Amino acid sequence: MGIISAIGHSVSENHNSLINNLSGISLSDNFPSKYSGILPLAKVSLTNEDLKEKLNITDAGITRTSLLAHYAFKKALNDANLSHQDLVSPKTALVGGTTVGGMSLTDELYRDSKGNGTDKTFLSSYDFASVFLSIQHHYKMMGIVNTINTACSSSANAIMYGCRLIKNGFANKVIVGGADSLSKFTINGFNALRILSNENCIPFDKNRKGLNLGEGAAFLVLEKEEDALNKKVYAEISGYYNSNDSFHPSSLSEQGDGPFLCMEGALKLAKLNPNQIDFINAHGTGTENNDESESRAMINLFKNVPDFASTKSYTGHTLGAASALEAVYSILNIKYQEVYKNIGFENAIEVTGLIPILSNKKTSINHVMSNSFGFGGNCTSLIFSKL
Amino acid sequence: MEKEELKEQLKGQIIKFLNLDKTTDQIKDDEPLFGEGLGLDSIDSLELIVLLQREYGIVIQDPKEGRKILVDVNTMADYILNFKGTQTL
Amino acid sequence: MFYINDTVCISPQNTFSDINIEILKESENNFLKALEPIYDGLPHNALRRMSKSVRIALGASLLLLERNTQTYEGIIIGSGNGSMEETGKFLDQLIEYNEGMLTPGNFVQSSPNAIAGQISLLTKNKNYNITHVHKGLAFENAMLDVAMLLKENPSNHYLMGGVDETSSYHYQLDDQEGWYKNETISNNHLYETGSEGSIAGEGAAMFILSNNKDNSLAKLQSFTTVHTSDKQVVKEKIQQFLSINLPPEEKIDLFISGENGDERLLKYYLSCENLLENEIASVRFKHMSGEYSTASAFALWLACNVLGRKISIPKHCFKNKTSEENYKNILIYNIYKGEQHSLMLVKELD
Repeated sequence: MGIISAIGHSVSENHNSLINNLSGISLSDNFPSKYSGILPLAKVSLTNEDLKEKLNITDAGITRTSLLAHYAFKKALNDANLSHQDLVSPKTALVGGTTVGGMSLTDELYRDSKGNGTDKTFLSSYDFASVFLSIQHHYKMMGIVNTINTACSSSANAIMYGCRLIKNGFANKVIVGGADSLSKFTINGFNALRILSNENCIPFDKNRKGLNLGEGAAFLVLEKEEDALNKKVYAEISGYYNSNDSFHPSSLSEQGDGPFLCMEGALKLAKLNPNQIDFINAHGTGTENNDESESRAMINLFKNVPDFASTKSYTGHTLGAASALEAVYSILNIKYQEVYKNIGFENAIEVTGLIPILSNKKTSINHVMSNSFGFGGNCTSLIFSKL
Repeated sequence: MEKEELKEQLKGQIIKFLNLDKTTDQIKDDEPLFGEGLGLDSIDSLELIVLLQREYGIVIQDPKEGRKILVDVNTMADYILNFKGTQTL
Repeated sequence: MFYINDTVCISPQNTFSDINIEILKESENNFLKALEPIYDGLPHNALRRMSKSVRIALGASLLLLERNTQTYEGIIIGSGNGSMEETGKFLDQLIEYNEGMLTPGNFVQSSPNAIAGQISLLTKNKNYNITHVHKGLAFENAMLDVAMLLKENPSNHYLMGGVDETSSYHYQLDDQEGWYKNETISNNHLYETGSEGSIAGEGAAMFILSNNKDNSLAKLQSFTTVHTSDKQVVKEKIQQFLSINLPPEEKIDLFISGENGDERLLKYYLSCENLLENEIASVRFKHMSGEYSTASAFALWLACNVLGRKISIPKHCFKNKTSEENYKNILIYNIYKGEQHSLMLVKELD
């Protein structure tokens, strides 16, 4: 696996931040938006030039989203020891999720979409697929490549799709994940919806004021069990499910129908009872709507809700990359048999009374559920299991 | 501006802003904007808050406070007149 | 392999409920705009905020669902760009008001997953719901998703479609990149110009897919994709595809070509034609649909209606021989922006 986020440029750096409860969200003012220095953001502390240098990439039209994706992808390849042959095999697939794609270049997109540009550099980079096509081109990948955009559950659906490609014989290996970068477009979009907090987010807290946007990328390398026999394996993806809340374009139903259905479906596929889930990496954005609906859904399904926390108070909400980052964190829960506190929480939401974990702890972790719920009612649940 | 004139103007602005399939005389002054009545939703309430800022200079920071003003055309007109009234002090 | 139970298409031609494609609707300023029906089933309160891509996908889906009352267990959409119109409108606000107070409606509707999201909302379908956005292979990825779903759940039905709108914003981007004609032409003469570029189009082609043969239109035997600009690689892929999927005693009797008037892409289509028999009927469709990421969905709609004996192929589609034969094996070959290639083998029901 490979990852880059506001809390680290590698799996070990991210792990270190989680253990030390260090958030990557800050009010620093070095983002080209009116809201920089006003709204907390979780920025990756490498500039585009830094990323290009580290990756040795000189392509002119490459966007920040693509650079973050390349960075995490390369880390994942190295961690999995994938060779050039592996990458160019027609049975190696790539599936990624993104919501911003090349729209991180908000000003350039505005200029070019009006026909006012003279610079053709980015014309083919604005769409979503450009991120993963960029990786495909770079590594000359010949297998199935796909891009998914289901808002905040994009990379969860990418991971699920990758599992199914292997299960149905369309690939032997799949590199799955997602990437999103901070952009004026999304900052203003979420601000227009009034769901950005002007303070660090506090998921599941009764005084939560909204989410903080973040950026990042993460990839997992997936293989069939029989192909992974003599290799280092972190975990198994034992369950997954996708459902739709079918309530409103940008908010969840009161009882969290979509979240309930996808969690229930993932458990069924994994052949697990609710009480076998040791920990839930919640979607937990810190918005009034999500955290309450998600809480209700967890209560409705689990009765005794397992330990849970949101890692978005560390990384911010990285939109299309969120589920991929959280997949890595779920795997860390399993690898190190530990869970990390839900930072910022002080008081439970009154109507649900649910309390996330308030301190790190070492504990037996066999099964972790990771949930992601997006606009358009798109809800996906993944279950990672210890081997 | 007189209240009646303001309400008529407001109805026209609401229709245009929210792309409603209605004419101004199809919207009653006391018809609830949300729920029964016009049946607007949470996104509409945010859009109306923007309308109030762009057309009348009224800034509403908290959308929940906004819902207290956005009950029907009457309450919106009252708020606008009150706001303009305080502006001239 | 699966069956196409039914299909509805909203496009720049009369393809919606009373299909009449004999008369070719003309393009304007190198643009074929989708003809929108009157949306009888849709409350205006819902319609008022929807982008064109959402409206046409919904319009096509609702007619399809009216005609097919069985339940369906998923909504799978392929869309290259979602709604650039809504994106553009939000960007306009952002710049005009200098990141001030902006209305959120455009932002929410700009995301491609708003299409599948709205279909779910209006049909109260809480099942599997996904949006594939891999540009010129977005539709093919949606099809692969359904192929897998049907393997995993053999008795289910799925609603699947390819949807794209081409707003003025998006047109500008593709035009500056050189994908549209420099000169204004009519779609009537799309294939005669010998110049680079094509014309823009848009549409929503929706399908109900299942393993159930009853009352179906056609069988999707197989499909494949390849990402390359190497003509030889494509040729080998096509040869391999045909040899695997077509028994020796069968042959392709109709070739539906994604030729779009861009002379740079002709070499690939000609290479494919050369692999097929000389006497094969060859038709083109992009003078009807225009060019867009999911135009191959239009081609599939056409193939299904031909195989299901619902329509005859109009004269204006034929590249070579004109006949009224009962086609049995249709090969569709489409290319998007010179690199994303797809092949579909669609057969009549046996």
